[in-house]
Amino acid sequence: MAALLRSARLLKCLPSGLCLWPYAGLRHYAVIPEQKGPAKDESSLGVRSKQAQQFDWALAKLDSSVRRTGRVTKTLLMRIFHDICRTGYPSGNQALLLLRSCGSLLPEVPMAERSELARHIWDKLKELGASYDASHYNALVKVFLQNEFKFSPNEFLAKMEAAGVQPNRVTYQRLIAAYCNAGDIEGASTILGFMKSKDLPITEAVFNSLVTGHARADDMESAVSILSVMKGAGIEPGPDTYVALLNAYAERGDMEKIRQTLETAGSTDISLMDRDLMQVVFSLAKAGYHQHVPSIVDLMRHERGYVPDAMNLCLSLITQGHEDTAFSVLKTFPTLQQENESGDSNNLGNFFLRHCVNMNKPVEKLARYCQELQDSNCHAAPLQFTLYCCLEAKNTATALELMKIMKEQGQPIRPHFFWPLLMQHVKDRNTVGVMEVMKGMQELGVPADVETLSNYILPAFPNVAVALGISCFLLLTSNLTHPSVCFYLPSLVSDPSFSALDLSNFRTVLCCSVSLSNGVSYFLYNLIDSMSEAEVQAQEEKLRQYFNQLKSMNIVIPVNIYRGIRNLLDSYHVPELIKVSSDSPSTRKLAELKAEGKPVGPTLKQLILSLCSEEKLDAALELKSQHAADMATGGYAALIHLCCRHNNVDEALKLKGELSHKDPSVSLDSTKSIALVKALVKHDRMEEAVDLLKEMKEKDVSVVDTAVTLLFHTLNAAALKGDVAAVRQLQATVFTLGLTKPTANLCSPLITAHLQTKDLSGALDAAMECQKQYGHLPRIHDVICGLVENGDTELLQKAMDFVSQERGEMTMLYNLFFAFMQTGRHREARKIIETPGLRARAGRLQWYAEKCVAANQMESLESLVEMTAKLFECDRDEMYHYLLRLCKNTNDWRKAEATWTKMQEENVIPRERTLRLLADILRSNGQEVPFEVIVKCSSYVSCSCLVCACRSLFHSSLCSEAYSELKNMDRKGEALGPSPYSALIRALLAEGNMEDALEVQKIATTHIPHFKLNDIANSLLIITQAKKNLTKDALATLKSMLQADQVPSKLSITRLVQSLGSHGDIAGIQDVEALMKGLGNPLNLSPMMFVNNTAIARIKNGDLDSAVEGLEAIYTSAGEGSQPASMAFVFRKVLEEKNITALDKLSAMAERLANHFASYGPASDLFIQLMDAGMKEEAKFMLARCSAVAEQREALVSYMSRLSRTPGQLCFLALSLLLILSFSFSLNFFDWVCLTVLARSTALDNDLASAKALYQQMQSEGVEADELCLKRLAKLYKSAGESVPFTEPPVSGRLGLIKKNKTAYSERLNSKCLYMDF
Amino acid sequence: MATSAKKIFELFVSKVPWTLSSKEMKEYFGQFGQVKKCLLPFDKETGFHRGFCWIGYTSEEGLQNALQKYPHTLEGATLQVQRNRKVFVGQKTNKEVPEES
Repeated sequence: MAALLRSARLLKCLPSGLCLWPYAGLRHYAVIPEQKGPAKDESSLGVRSKQAQQFDWALAKLDSSVRRTGRVTKTLLMRIFHDICRTGYPSGNQALLLLRSCGSLLPEVPMAERSELARHIWDKLKELGASYDASHYNALVKVFLQNEFKFSPNEFLAKMEAAGVQPNRVTYQRLIAAYCNAGDIEGASTILGFMKSKDLPITEAVFNSLVTGHARADDMESAVSILSVMKGAGIEPGPDTYVALLNAYAERGDMEKIRQTLETAGSTDISLMDRDLMQVVFSLAKAGYHQHVPSIVDLMRHERGYVPDAMNLCLSLITQGHEDTAFSVLKTFPTLQQENESGDSNNLGNFFLRHCVNMNKPVEKLARYCQELQDSNCHAAPLQFTLYCCLEAKNTATALELMKIMKEQGQPIRPHFFWPLLMQHVKDRNTVGVMEVMKGMQELGVPADVETLSNYILPAFPNVAVALGISCFLLLTSNLTHPSVCFYLPSLVSDPSFSALDLSNFRTVLCCSVSLSNGVSYFLYNLIDSMSEAEVQAQEEKLRQYFNQLKSMNIVIPVNIYRGIRNLLDSYHVPELIKVSSDSPSTRKLAELKAEGKPVGPTLKQLILSLCSEEKLDAALELKSQHAADMATGGYAALIHLCCRHNNVDEALKLKGELSHKDPSVSLDSTKSIALVKALVKHDRMEEAVDLLKEMKEKDVSVVDTAVTLLFHTLNAAALKGDVAAVRQLQATVFTLGLTKPTANLCSPLITAHLQTKDLSGALDAAMECQKQYGHLPRIHDVICGLVENGDTELLQKAMDFVSQERGEMTMLYNLFFAFMQTGRHREARKIIETPGLRARAGRLQWYAEKCVAANQMESLESLVEMTAKLFECDRDEMYHYLLRLCKNTNDWRKAEATWTKMQEENVIPRERTLRLLADILRSNGQEVPFEVIVKCSSYVSCSCLVCACRSLFHSSLCSEAYSELKNMDRKGEALGPSPYSALIRALLAEGNMEDALEVQKIATTHIPHFKLNDIANSLLIITQAKKNLTKDALATLKSMLQADQVPSKLSITRLVQSLGSHGDIAGIQDVEALMKGLGNPLNLSPMMFVNNTAIARIKNGDLDSAVEGLEAIYTSAGEGSQPASMAFVFRKVLEEKNITALDKLSAMAERLANHFASYGPASDLFIQLMDAGMKEEAKFMLARCSAVAEQREALVSYMSRLSRTPGQLCFLALSLLLILSFSFSLNFFDWVCLTVLARSTALDNDLASAKALYQQMQSEGVEADELCLKRLAKLYKSAGESVPFTEPPVSGRLGLIKKNKTAYSERLNSKCLYMDF
Repeated sequence: MATSAKKIFELFVSKVPWTLSSKEMKEYFGQFGQVKKCLLPFDKETGFHRGFCWIGYTSEEGLQNALQKYPHTLEGATLQVQRNRKVFVGQKTNKEVPEES
């Protein structure tokens, strides 16, 4: 996590000179032979999987970005921000993480925007209930400083105090910096006064700020004199001090002084990193001294990490409007030679070009940069890349300009270059935009081809005629001759009711080869899957026929499906369960068996095994001697193992002899053999042990893991006796025989043996030998520690040379570092860890830290944490967590608190667990916890689990359990985080349990003052209130929601309006309608909903006339072709309430509308509602009076298909069919209806009888059923085991097509039908 | 079960630069044999293609000719060309170029 958590410089140079230890001062290696690809994080893998929490996810995401590039993109940051907002309740460190990222980590964003973003995040999270402590305020100041945001530190302090947050040392330090940046020494002094009065230490950081402060106040003399003041106070000026001074000179453009200062710094053992110099470059550029930049850039050493840092510098410069300076920095980038060799083209400067595009730099500049990049061979195709960026950013104007330049250079411009631009316009239906791009295309002489036309131009136009005109124009001008045009245009002309978009879809459908075989195969699979085993067996013959038939039809089943079918068929022949009889054996049974002359082998074996497991060696041996003839291998093996455990080597060997005498081919398994080896070694019988190992090899015994462990113990036991020779002999035997692979563990006993005899030189030699022979370097830490302890520089040199040669310099440095740490030589250790180019190895650091925690070595751990502060890629939170763990062990709260302040100073964002640990230490010592931490107690866990459960299940019993648990906790005074409360409220509301939900809300508010229900919960509340007829309350909830900028759900509004309607509250409905109109983001509510419910309300109030009037006005005022949505809802309500007067009036209105105004909607709605209510007679009369209803094809068909989806509706359906048939429907249409009906009902209830009736009906009416219809009917017959009374049509391509068409059509109807539900 | 499915000789081409369209791909790969199919899927969200492409030859010969050439450089970019491993099952796309013969 480190990269993000640390704002400090990447690596620190160590002072040269002073060489006490051979390796302490000479390193300056820049190239580390690191593995390629993402950095391997040894330790954190395991650790991370344990904390798969959202914070860690977000942190990891941001961190990997920072680690790779030293920056974060705004998109990523915003995404994480929105994610955190969406989940509702941000935790303290999520807030810290976000705030922390709003500063210099966003070099691509202008500073003002960054500060604005920080404030926005601050306010928004606060609103969402995040509580801020000192660390947040500190982070905010830091971000303000980085963004050069002007603010009043005094006001800031006042705000902090008003919020009840105590500023700490870090806060004061940063506020001093804020004053100093403005050149306000007086202000800085006030804060200094605060610090002194609180007895806080004045650190280097404060002095550094003062240098800047005096310089900005135009008093360079005082600025310089700060350095001597520092020395006087016993603080050495560090690199940061010199950077402050250099920046001050840079702002004045004083190159002479800059050179002098650099020299002074160099002479005082402080060498500045590239990173520091980059700050100077930035200052120069900002102050307008561009001409001096190159001389500073020349000083850079191109250290490791130079490229990402320099990239960030370039990005910042571009953002600040100094792109020319940025370009001069870019030109100093080392070109990557190896990429050339691999054949990839150069692309240096991509990031530069992209950012220039995003910052809307003028085209001329872009063109110049591209030209220079190309001329200097840095980039193969810079213009193309820049164009790509423009297209990505949808920057039409620049893109077109660039294409013009490209065209002048003779590069091709192709139609698909314009697609990304058109894409956006098509999405927005922005015809003006499309026309603009098209104009550009024409100017560039790029004709739109068919694809451009059909996918990226025409769909933008809502009106086919316009699109057609344009396409004709384009076709004429561009002279297109493509076969698909011939297809495309006629279809456009022939059916104007289809939109262009539909058509292109339709075309693709047709173009795709009909994958018939796939369909059949799936059908087969599903068929077999749905049959029971018995059925399959019974139908075996039929299935075989079916397969044969498919084969004869040349239908190939794809392999996957074939496998699936095979597995299914396999599984139907379940092998018989093996009957397990498990009688426990006894000696008695053995005797009985023997007496009966039956074989006793198995029983004997079981008996011996059970004796062995009871460790009864003697009894087992006796039993063996009694039944020697019947002994089997297993029994012997168990006995041998037991002998080994009891250290009875002779007996074991004897048994082994007997066994091989009985059956020479048999061999013991590896565990038992090694156990025997161990026993032999213990008795110093080396020869026999080696022989046994050889025998294992001969008999090809495979060695299992447990045996390997056992082998290690064998070796280690010998090693602890200091028996080097024995260890060596065994090791050599094992490895040369290849019984197991040499591991570090298995190699280590040899070194242990040497160390045991205090023979360091021998140990080193042995370790080196292991490395040479087996590639392992066991116990090298102990060896090196020994050498350091003894001060044996010569051997140490030898060891280091060897390690560095074999394992690389990095490993060597770590070994040395830990050896110094271990032996308490912290000064030397620090020099090692500060070697430039060294990076954190989490695994090694963890290893040492755990050692310290276990051994209670606070001092050593503290210096480890402190020393690694600037180590590249060091996970700072992890390091501090080790420290806190030790504090916890020693119960030292003072140290823990000091640790927390240090973390803030270092800008470390603690993970949740770190904070919890800290809070725990403080609390158990009776201290106040200065930050918010989520309570972790047993009931918290159980409760939040329950809440989680009811969130996912909405299970009522769980829900009430969670509720009672919560009340319990409340009684005990325990509080939860906001999210469980919110979840529980939602769950309770989803059940309609409003009282409890409000109770929970009350509890939550007592613990969390800002607690608010979120959108979902409020919507649910509205629904519940509406259901419970508390319409006034529901309306109030809605209003408060809208005030809080929350968006209610569509359903909640619908329910509310319905409830208002049934209460006759017309004013309420109008209120809601007005509110919804005012909503920025409309919910896509049907206007009919308000109309219908107003009508209901009027009917309810007895005002029938105005109800009818209102409805009639809607229908009569609607223009031709745009039918308002259905008023079925009103009819349904009236029918439900059996309000006959209202029904009469309304039906009169519907008939009037149909007969006089040709508005058939209400009439067909009424008809359908009558049918639905089972009032067939009334429906018939209605049809007779108003025959046009029967012509409302779509409405009726969709009604039909809706009915057909509910099981058991078939008879009813047949009736309604007849009804319809008696009027003027075309046969084709009827046919289609039958088909759908059949398909649906067969799928739903396999109702053959009804299907038969329907078929008969069709026949008697003289309707000819089509292929698909017959096919389905045949399927029904067959599945019922009856013979098909007609010839089944064959499967053909046409059938498949028809099927597709019809499904598409019926889907469309279905969607309409859903719409009608209102 | 049967031999109806025609054998497909397909290449999978990746690292296709964004400036190329299926027309260029088809033209280029046409030099090794008759191209029956050229599939360069475009991302409907961005309007750029996805950087990979399938080329189907009518014969094994065309496929082999294409595989033998190395490197495949087109407009300064090196294409990565390999035999298609996964069978491409009828994916809907706007880029299918019908056979012109």
